[in-house]
Amino acid sequence: MTTSGPLPVSIRETLAGKHILLTGASGFVGKVWLAMVLHNIPQIGRIYILLRGKGRGVKERFEKIVNESHVFKPLHEAHNGRMSEFMSQRVEVVAGDVSQPHLGMDPDIEARLLQDVDLVLNCAGLVDFNPDVREALASNVGGAVNVGDFIENSDHASLLHVSTCYVAGHRDGFVPETIVTDQTPNGTPITAEGELRTLHEIIAAVEAENDDPATETTLREDVVRRLAERGHEGDYKRVTDMVTRLKRKRLREMMAKAGTDRAKVLGWPNTYTYTKALAEQLLAARADRVRFAAFRPAIVESAIDFPFAGWNEGFNTSGPLVYLAGTWFRHVPAAAGNALDVIPVDSVCKALSIVACALLRGEASAVYQCGSSDRNFLPIDRLTELSALGHRRHLREHGNGALERLILSRWDALAADPEHVLNVTNIRKLMGQVSRYLKHGLPEKIPSEVREWADDVSKTTETGVRKLRQIEEVLELFMPFTYEHFCVFECRAIDRHPALEPEFRFAPEDIEWRSYWLDVHMPGVRRWCFPEYEDKPKETYAPKTPFRLLDPPRLAPPETARESLTFSGG
Amino acid sequence: MSAKPTAAFFRAEGVLVSSGVMQAAMFMAGQRAGMRERALRFGQALASAPLFGLLGQNDRTLGNRVAHLCYRDMTEDRIVVLSEEYVDDVLTEKVLDSGIELMRRAKADGHRVVVLSEGIAEIMDRVREKWRYVDDLVCNHLEYRSGKATGKLLDPVIGGYEGGKWLAQYAAEHDIDLARSFAYAGHGPDLLLLSAVGHPCAVNPDFTLRKAAREADWPLMDYKA
Repeated sequence: MTTSGPLPVSIRETLAGKHILLTGASGFVGKVWLAMVLHNIPQIGRIYILLRGKGRGVKERFEKIVNESHVFKPLHEAHNGRMSEFMSQRVEVVAGDVSQPHLGMDPDIEARLLQDVDLVLNCAGLVDFNPDVREALASNVGGAVNVGDFIENSDHASLLHVSTCYVAGHRDGFVPETIVTDQTPNGTPITAEGELRTLHEIIAAVEAENDDPATETTLREDVVRRLAERGHEGDYKRVTDMVTRLKRKRLREMMAKAGTDRAKVLGWPNTYTYTKALAEQLLAARADRVRFAAFRPAIVESAIDFPFAGWNEGFNTSGPLVYLAGTWFRHVPAAAGNALDVIPVDSVCKALSIVACALLRGEASAVYQCGSSDRNFLPIDRLTELSALGHRRHLREHGNGALERLILSRWDALAADPEHVLNVTNIRKLMGQVSRYLKHGLPEKIPSEVREWADDVSKTTETGVRKLRQIEEVLELFMPFTYEHFCVFECRAIDRHPALEPEFRFAPEDIEWRSYWLDVHMPGVRRWCFPEYEDKPKETYAPKTPFRLLDPPRLAPPETARESLTFSGG
Repeated sequence: MSAKPTAAFFRAEGVLVSSGVMQAAMFMAGQRAGMRERALRFGQALASAPLFGLLGQNDRTLGNRVAHLCYRDMTEDRIVVLSEEYVDDVLTEKVLDSGIELMRRAKADGHRVVVLSEGIAEIMDRVREKWRYVDDLVCNHLEYRSGKATGKLLDPVIGGYEGGKWLAQYAAEHDIDLARSFAYAGHGPDLLLLSAVGHPCAVNPDFTLRKAAREADWPLMDYKA
């Protein structure tokens, strides 16, 4: 009997001895990929880590990352006292910045890397949804262009560029694994070069408006009036300082708005997806000179098993929604049946390794989407209910007092229409009114105990109002994904490259969502992400023997690498 | 003497636990997603309780179908999570130690221990994890479509007169010597189950079974803990 389909490829053998330049190594995906590859493929050639900073500062920054992040726990445990030797043989930290020409590298180092590097894995990028458009442009677009330049000038390197599935923008239905280069999601004809020019014009116009003397005069008058209201008489220097700060803040806000507005006009939900799409288009336009593949993860979430179950960090998409489901707020704006395309970070890193191998073997497609909606659909209403059930489980045992254990645990969040009467905006307004009444509306002749109580409640309510405002902003950002659009991202290109090693097998269809969400993801975000939302200190890792990057870098001869493999494999 | 293996069959409700499917149904109905749904389904469960009581001694199959109607449109995720909660918070308190002791002795005597329950698999599978003497568990299964319960039970429905037929089939499949086997049950419709084995025992029997057990001269056991 004959079997059809491609033959499995050994990820380990393909990556053995290969030199990789990694950007964005301090990010969520970059760190997990680095740790995963070093852990599973010790025979890798050299991984150059491009980090922002200068001189020894970069090295120390990398050491701090490796020593404090739990991602590197499996590596520390596997190599224990020999971690410094192990890492120094395989990793070289390079000072640079993707947003700068020549990646901001020292010319000698760049020249060496242009010869040595087989593959650039570009994980760098600004993942804030609505940042200052200048920063997004520099990092997401400029970064891709500069990395493209590096590839074009290199001896033989290929580029694996990490993008996002959501470059698809405001659209419904099945999203194929292709790059659309001539139009925006809403059908507006576009060329990436032309759009880049337009964006620079917009930025220049915003800057000019902010630098306009009339703007400064208005701000100055405003500052003087406010100081006078508070009984202060501002001297010239103080007023000038305040105006400068206000102008800077105003400019950032205007730049964020300009980016969002432009993105929305063209059919993208935010600056992040818009700039990521532009980057893809610019790279696609150079496809004849730059061998590259665009890798588009969907919503990257907690790890299933590497570095360990539940590892997560940062303010990712489902985190705030999950957090919200554990509060008194019940109506999560989401359309039942819409997908929230979640994919565990270790699945993403396995897929990255597979595509890296495909690129190195010259077998890669132009685009790889990496999500679950096409292969293991998870609707947002199910996710909302699972989140509520996860909180229920947690609060029953660990709730603060009877109110949380008995009532809040049963206060299930539901997927609801954003216009629901108990939506977050209405609740915030109501709480604001209560707070104002308690502060200013109570009769003057009331017992002092009642006054104190009212002041306390008012303060608590004000804090609640502030939190609700933040939640409202987050929900607004996520609305395109949770409510407005029904998208399924094709995720099939990767099947053309089956991995030989089970630890690199990409199989989102095997994820059992209930146990993933309840037993892996929720405990993960509760431990690793919620402290960040609540301004609590982050839990840092402390290895028994701290890692130090040995100086100068020790290049591993092939024999040593093989020995290390045996050591590591045991 | 026959070399065939023997078994001890236990009906969970009334013998091993003092709580029945109606309590489970009410618990689930009261924990539905959304206040309106909770009120509606709890009301439905409450209304079906007398009917279940009425049918319990005669057509227990129909009684079970009625009791499980309030699971309709409930997601499998919610049923699984609430089942954990029900077992840990409610059912654990309702376990009859005397019944567990019977099970322990049966196991010690070398019988295969088989538990039959009207409860749904989501609940009983978790209970089974705690009852280490159980070799086999047979219970009811909810029908699901697109991740939601339809409110129907899959056939065969455990709890009715089909228990006797099921037991004969089980004995044939596992080559069990029924004449040397034991059965413990407490409801009228368990008559066929009890009469199929050589050593039947009525435990905490209802009116119908108590009367029948006395007439058949079967041993009777009553315990509350």
